[in-house]
Amino acid sequence: MAQQGDAAAFERLYQLHNRRVYSLCLRMVGNTAEAEDLTQEAFLQLFRKISTFRGESAFSTWLHRLAVNVVLMRLRKKSAAETSLEEVTEPDEESGGPRRDFGGPDLQLTGSIDRVNLQRAVEQLPPGYKAVFVLHDVQGFEHNEIAEIMNCSIGNSKSQLHKARMRLRELLQETLRDKAREDRKAAGAASGGEE
Amino acid sequence: MSPSPCEEFSKHLESWLEESHDPVMEAHVRSCARCNALVEDLGAIRATAFEWAYPEDEPSPSLWTSLRAQLEAEGLIHVQTTSWWDRLTSWVPSSSRPVLAGAYVAILVAVAFAISGPGESRLDRQLWLQSAENTSQPLQQDLDLAEQATVSTLPQSNSPVTASLQKNLAVVDNYIVLCEKSVRDDPQDEVAREYLFDAYQQKADLLAVMSERGDYEQ
Repeated sequence: MAQQGDAAAFERLYQLHNRRVYSLCLRMVGNTAEAEDLTQEAFLQLFRKISTFRGESAFSTWLHRLAVNVVLMRLRKKSAAETSLEEVTEPDEESGGPRRDFGGPDLQLTGSIDRVNLQRAVEQLPPGYKAVFVLHDVQGFEHNEIAEIMNCSIGNSKSQLHKARMRLRELLQETLRDKAREDRKAAGAASGGEE
Repeated sequence: MSPSPCEEFSKHLESWLEESHDPVMEAHVRSCARCNALVEDLGAIRATAFEWAYPEDEPSPSLWTSLRAQLEAEGLIHVQTTSWWDRLTSWVPSSSRPVLAGAYVAILVAVAFAISGPGESRLDRQLWLQSAENTSQPLQQDLDLAEQATVSTLPQSNSPVTASLQKNLAVVDNYIVLCEKSVRDDPQDEVAREYLFDAYQQKADLLAVMSERGDYEQ
């Protein structure tokens, strides 16, 4: 019915899938207004193309493919606009953006990760890593589904996920190191004030 | 030079995380603090990501309104406009009573006349009035029959609900008489025809309620 432009059928489809699509967008961009904007764009694309849906893949997979494409396009456009010339000295293999150098000893993350710092770290991931990580580890898609959504091989999906997790670990360790430095500074200032 | 056990483990890390544990690698992870920390960190990231999925967030309700407006503007959706015929047929209850069903059909025909209205010419007006007259007479008989059948199913008790339903029926009957008169006086008056439409609808609804109540009480 939605393929014939029936408004009620469109609304039913929207009601069925809007939460999942919005959650995906929100986890990828970390901003509610932008996530809503992207959700609207994803559904617009869906309804514009619904007559071409032939049921070769699951409807949900097809919808997520549209949503991921919309988000990736926005993120890539944004990162291209935000990347300055000096930052592109050591391009990262996935994002084309700068690779950060993480120094210092490895800090154990267990017990120190929460949603907030995970979210911050995810925001810093290159778009492709971010998409695979959110789809697999947050939304629970399997690699064969992600391969369909991202239009890549299963092997590629696995390798992107692995790299995303390793990068997240580095980012989270960096956060811990920053926090430890700040704590030391604060402790130093407090003891200096006492003397 | 052969790779170190840690390098070897990093090659197997992906399958390790997918719960496929090689005994040699397992022994290495137990004995190597660095690889053990790596496995634990990645496990902690996965666990936090899994928790992050819930509860699922919901976009604001205005999003559908805005999306729908955009879809309409692009002509991608068409809203089902209800025609007068759809409005009329939607009245017909799923009643098993043939008399009541017959009355509904008669109401549909009469209302179709009432809403369609006469044409512009004098001849059209006369023809329409004549046809409306011809339609309303059998309708009155059908409605009377339906009313009798429905009222006979009501309990004989003097319950306040039954009394109220009968009182309402009398009010609606009077209202119909008034509306029919207005439509006859000025067949071009769309408001009068709309009122007549509503009056028939009220009577139909009331008879359906009374019929259901009769079934329920018996």
